[in-house]
Amino acid sequence: MEDQILALTAEVAAIKGAAEVTNRMFAEAYYYITIPLMVLIHAGFLLYEMGATRLQNVLSSGVKNLLAFAFTIAAWYLFGWWFYWALPTWPLDLAAGAGYMEISGLEYANSIAWAWGDSAQYMGPNMGDNASGVFWGAFALFAATTASIASGALIERIQTVGFVICAVVLGTAAWGIAAAWGWHADGWLVTEFGYHDFGAAGLVHAVAGFFALGVLLNLGPRVGKFNADGSANHLAGHNMPLTVTGLMLIIVGFFGFLMACIILPGEGWSWYGDRATTIYGTPMTLSALAFNVPLAAAGGIIGAWVMTRDPFWMMSGCLAGIISVASGLDVYFGSTVIAVSMLAGIILKPCADWLEGLGIDDAVGCVTVHGTIGLFGVVMLGILGSGVPGLGAFAPEDTVAISLFGQIVGAVVMFLLGFVPGYVVSWIVNKAGMLRIPDAVQIKGLDAVKVPAQAYPQGMTSPESES
Amino acid sequence: MGYFAESFAELYNADGWMDMGMYIGAGSSAAGWWTVIATVMLVGVLVKGNTDEQDHYK
Repeated sequence: MEDQILALTAEVAAIKGAAEVTNRMFAEAYYYITIPLMVLIHAGFLLYEMGATRLQNVLSSGVKNLLAFAFTIAAWYLFGWWFYWALPTWPLDLAAGAGYMEISGLEYANSIAWAWGDSAQYMGPNMGDNASGVFWGAFALFAATTASIASGALIERIQTVGFVICAVVLGTAAWGIAAAWGWHADGWLVTEFGYHDFGAAGLVHAVAGFFALGVLLNLGPRVGKFNADGSANHLAGHNMPLTVTGLMLIIVGFFGFLMACIILPGEGWSWYGDRATTIYGTPMTLSALAFNVPLAAAGGIIGAWVMTRDPFWMMSGCLAGIISVASGLDVYFGSTVIAVSMLAGIILKPCADWLEGLGIDDAVGCVTVHGTIGLFGVVMLGILGSGVPGLGAFAPEDTVAISLFGQIVGAVVMFLLGFVPGYVVSWIVNKAGMLRIPDAVQIKGLDAVKVPAQAYPQGMTSPESES
Repeated sequence: MGYFAESFAELYNADGWMDMGMYIGAGSSAAGWWTVIATVMLVGVLVKGNTDEQDHYK
């Protein structure tokens, strides 16, 4: 009998060990898969931007886009990751101490997020750590996505290195701090105001969109965009199919982006042993995304089609539809998603026209799609989702719930976190003579001036080269 | 440089940081030095890139 009990105990221990290994490897693979899926966002941005660019500037736009991706990821490794872990409680706690969950603050960040000293054990290959790398990788792609969002608005007249500096500030400091405050269980926007932004409508999209607006104010329009009387000319990109296909690839990547926003169960870093949650520890399922993301894409396309009949704006509407419900993808009902995303698609083009009427040359509608619709999405959750607890059951009893007031506070913070750094850093870059490409070079074409290759060496010529 | 263990058997018995891929020595200052080198290279590339870019616009 005793032997049987011992054998059974050993067998249970072996099964438990196997289950732990399976869960650990599944979690590691799950987040790992989100990384290449998010790279598809960048493949999409690359096609989208190059297609929206006129023929004489195609490769220059491609170079700019690739460098935003590369430098943001490197900078995220060197210091962006640290922002996220260090600043959730700052500036409410000026000393940036640890929050209630004790996974934040200067001391914590210093111990896990620097690539030197003992902290470096979490910043490279480590056989005892299956989590840090995949989380860092997913966050690095979030950062690169945020930086690339702003890129499209600035095409055809921003200098390459000046843009890289702006992109690094956006992808590391602006987004890192936004995520620390509003996308972390210790973030003060979450704990004090119940701010909820599951799919990052505010802290990625609005921050990036309004960062772009700040840069645009210093950068100015492309040569030929506006006439002397203030009326605008449409500067069509050279390849609409490329642009529309790129936008669809961005949507594919969004599925990876959003699945990376889920915290899986059963690991040491999980909120629960038996259920998946949002990053706030509130319960959710992947099925919620399976319902809501396609519905939001569909609603956005349909809404934009009603207003424009234009495939560019229909695919922009597709993005806008998802962004408009991103804050509450974990809690919205499917029919609600259809209604809200259609509304986003409907208001999209009028909002972009209004911005252009102010004399701002946003080449791809970035400020509207990501900035305006991002804030719209944050506030809509306040209207539709008030009362939902802001944190999981592990949180203090006085945790605030989602509210319209809290979401409006979050929207204002996200606007400022985007616009102010965007305006300030581009102002400094401009003063250094590194922001705007001289008008004569814009007229000549950027590829001819600074890219040692041709986009279509045998197939296409620009009107400028023909003349 | 070098590696702190002579075999992967030692690696699995290592205490704490099990540095498998970097071959820099667990807990050493090498990680920091590589970080300095990478940072200097990135900044240098930006400076050189900007110098070249301004030349293109002249």
